[in-house]
Amino acid sequence: MSAGTGTGTGTDTGTGTGTGAGGAAPYRSKLPPARDGFWQLLRAEFTKLRSVDRWLLTLLAGVVVTVLVSLVSAGGSEMATSDDGGGSGTEAADRVADSFRFVHRPLAGDGSVTARVTDLTLGRGTDAPWAKAGLIVKAGTEPGSPYVALMRTHEHGVRLQYGFEHDVAGGAVAGDAPVWLRLTREGDRLTGYESADGERWREVGSVSAAGLPRTARAGLFVAAPETVRVERSFGSLSIGAGPSEATGVFDNVRLEGGGSGGSSSGAGGGSGAGAWQDEAVGPPSGPAAANGPVGGTERAGGTFTVTGSGDIGPRPPAGDLTWMSLAGAQVGLIAFAALGVLFITAEYKRGMIRTTFTAGPRRGRVLVAKGVVLAAAAFAAGLAAAVVSFLVGQRALRAGGHRPPQFPEVSLADGPALRAVVGTGLLLALVALFALGLGALLRHTAAAVTLVVVPFVLPLVLGGGLPLGAVEWLFRVTPVAGFGVQSTTPHYEQVETVCLPEDGCMPQGPWTGLGVLAVWAAVVLALAAWRLRRRDA
Amino acid sequence: MRDGRRGLREPVEPVESVGTAEEPEQAGAGEPRGRGGQRVREVRYAAGGRSVRAGLRDAGYAARAEWTKLRTVPSTWWLLLAVAAVTAAIGAGAVSGLSTAHCPPAGCREDVVKTSLAGVWAGQAAVAALASLAFTAEYGTGTIRTTLTAVPGRLRVLAAKSAVVGAAVLVAGGAGVLGALLAGRALVPAGFTAYDLGAGPVLRAGFGTALYLVLVALLALGLGAALRDTAGAVAACLGVLYASPLVAGMLSDPEWVERLQRYGPSSAGLAVQSTVDTAALPIGPWAGLGVLAAWSAAALALGAAVLRRRDA
Repeated sequence: MSAGTGTGTGTDTGTGTGTGAGGAAPYRSKLPPARDGFWQLLRAEFTKLRSVDRWLLTLLAGVVVTVLVSLVSAGGSEMATSDDGGGSGTEAADRVADSFRFVHRPLAGDGSVTARVTDLTLGRGTDAPWAKAGLIVKAGTEPGSPYVALMRTHEHGVRLQYGFEHDVAGGAVAGDAPVWLRLTREGDRLTGYESADGERWREVGSVSAAGLPRTARAGLFVAAPETVRVERSFGSLSIGAGPSEATGVFDNVRLEGGGSGGSSSGAGGGSGAGAWQDEAVGPPSGPAAANGPVGGTERAGGTFTVTGSGDIGPRPPAGDLTWMSLAGAQVGLIAFAALGVLFITAEYKRGMIRTTFTAGPRRGRVLVAKGVVLAAAAFAAGLAAAVVSFLVGQRALRAGGHRPPQFPEVSLADGPALRAVVGTGLLLALVALFALGLGALLRHTAAAVTLVVVPFVLPLVLGGGLPLGAVEWLFRVTPVAGFGVQSTTPHYEQVETVCLPEDGCMPQGPWTGLGVLAVWAAVVLALAAWRLRRRDA
Repeated sequence: MRDGRRGLREPVEPVESVGTAEEPEQAGAGEPRGRGGQRVREVRYAAGGRSVRAGLRDAGYAARAEWTKLRTVPSTWWLLLAVAAVTAAIGAGAVSGLSTAHCPPAGCREDVVKTSLAGVWAGQAAVAALASLAFTAEYGTGTIRTTLTAVPGRLRVLAAKSAVVGAAVLVAGGAGVLGALLAGRALVPAGFTAYDLGAGPVLRAGFGTALYLVLVALLALGLGAALRDTAGAVAACLGVLYASPLVAGMLSDPEWVERLQRYGPSSAGLAVQSTVDTAALPIGPWAGLGVLAAWSAAALALGAAVLRRRDA
């Protein structure tokens, strides 16, 4: 213990003056005071940690269990990669969805395309809030080529989207009211405007035209993403994707600028009717493929009725490989919880805590020292476990058929993967701190271990059986939110995805999730410090 | 006691001299007496050849001692309360959270009974803590040496603890299950059919769940006897209980998932809760409980082996 250091050397300093005329001076120990700085406390706690074999074994068990369970989780996930249909060959095209109905003409150089979207209706059986109809300027008709699109969506108002990942919100659309849209190309910029009456225009956004050739294709498009149905009943889940289609009605269509028809061609006027080409871009996806190509265009006077299906946007990977290879932490945390609890309750059980508090009477500081030592040890062990799990798990996943292009390769050098791995170390350190706090608060080993483990494990186990809303709430506010730091699935607001927390799709950002856990640990530790001061040891 | 094969002598007539110390070698030869001449219950242990009645009587004493130890520790009552309250409360919460939003178009086939019993997933953790403590607390404080001095038959200690802890868990777990079923029936949301408490599958689910908790207690008891350390035993027990559903949730290979659900102690044991589509389960309701019983038996055997072979 720290109190043992430096007490034995009795030097007679300060005793020379003796007792003067003032009578009995209060007794003072002649021993020099022992150093009781924070450093000594840290050293004392570290000595305790490293000298108890059972604790080191617990830490080792945590690492081994984490790695083994990760390996089982990664190795047991076979992936049939035989279905090479559907992909259109290039890797870029596989990572994005790019299929829609396109009515287009060439647009050379600067110019603009304008139309009034009078109606957007969904086909039978279609439930697609992100069904869209609007204007698009695209490099060509091959899927995956750059584009800028301005659209009216079924439930999300006017949107300006480009580069497959970017989405700028415009104004809301009231009911079935027609919306005027205009997309203007001017040099390197493409600007989208919206209007309710075709006279007063409001800018939605202006984006760079990078990647678009001087002569691009411009025109009208309609797309409707697949209808995704999630069916959950206790412990079982089925996700079904249904075909979908939407129909958009456009009038007052005008393409101005360097088109094929000259500097100014009013398509609505009926001049050069053959100039508009109607085409289905991209492969029909999902069940729709079996029913033949969806969509078509009817033209009556200046009114275009375009029916289409598909989507233009990012296609998130089918699984979170990083999450899958770090899953062992869900079981390994039990050992970290046990260590954290024991780090304080063992002292109460053996009466050691009285020695500890005699040596370091400031109890809050003792708790802090314990926390620092424990967190550092748990972080080191957790980080080691995470790195090994990740490397071994990625190898097992690749062997199990998780290969590009469906599953892009992940390496430890990638930002999100590195964050997840380091975050797993932090997560396990916070679990240990949370456990330390509960142990100090309850002073009852069994109850504290149970109370630490259950809040983490229960949402993960019961997740499949509870309603989606309840699960999301649990993963938002309970300590299990910390697992969010392992999630690397990108979120795109403009794509409806099936987001299940138990599969690593967390309702909040990675650091927010870890922050929630940190708040839990801090609150419990603060309560523990308060109780430590008020109650006899 | 009658045959005295192992050289035990037949009890002779009680010696009437009070207060004189008999020769210590003669212990067991005569009816021992306490101070003041009261008869002291003689409990004799021999490897073989005792009458059934004496054996039962001894078992009764051992069980009573264990019950005294169990009921005089405050944490027992807190943990038993937690078992009942958590089982009922989480079950009620799960049922009231049911919604028809994600049901297939054909209608909901939700197993409402199973949902209202979902609280066992949490209640079993309290059972694990309680039952682990039965041995580990004694090892922690050294009481185990007193216990084994009083009842030197170590297997008898194990049996007595199992009986007492099992009975306590049966009562508390039964209360929790009953509460969960009653609350679940009262809280069934619109779109789901309420169940009849007397129906066969519901009774099976209810009794099966209470039995499940008892088997979990035995599992934890065995691990506690084997590991002798509270944190270790509780952590190991929670790991055994929760690892299989957690790992099953991570795997995507359906064959492995089914294997885990069939042989994992908690996943298999809780198959008994199913009342809908029991034919489609990876393992039948009672067979699943049998799998858990095998796990518990293995843990108890491990605990018994350690108890017999290792110094306390």
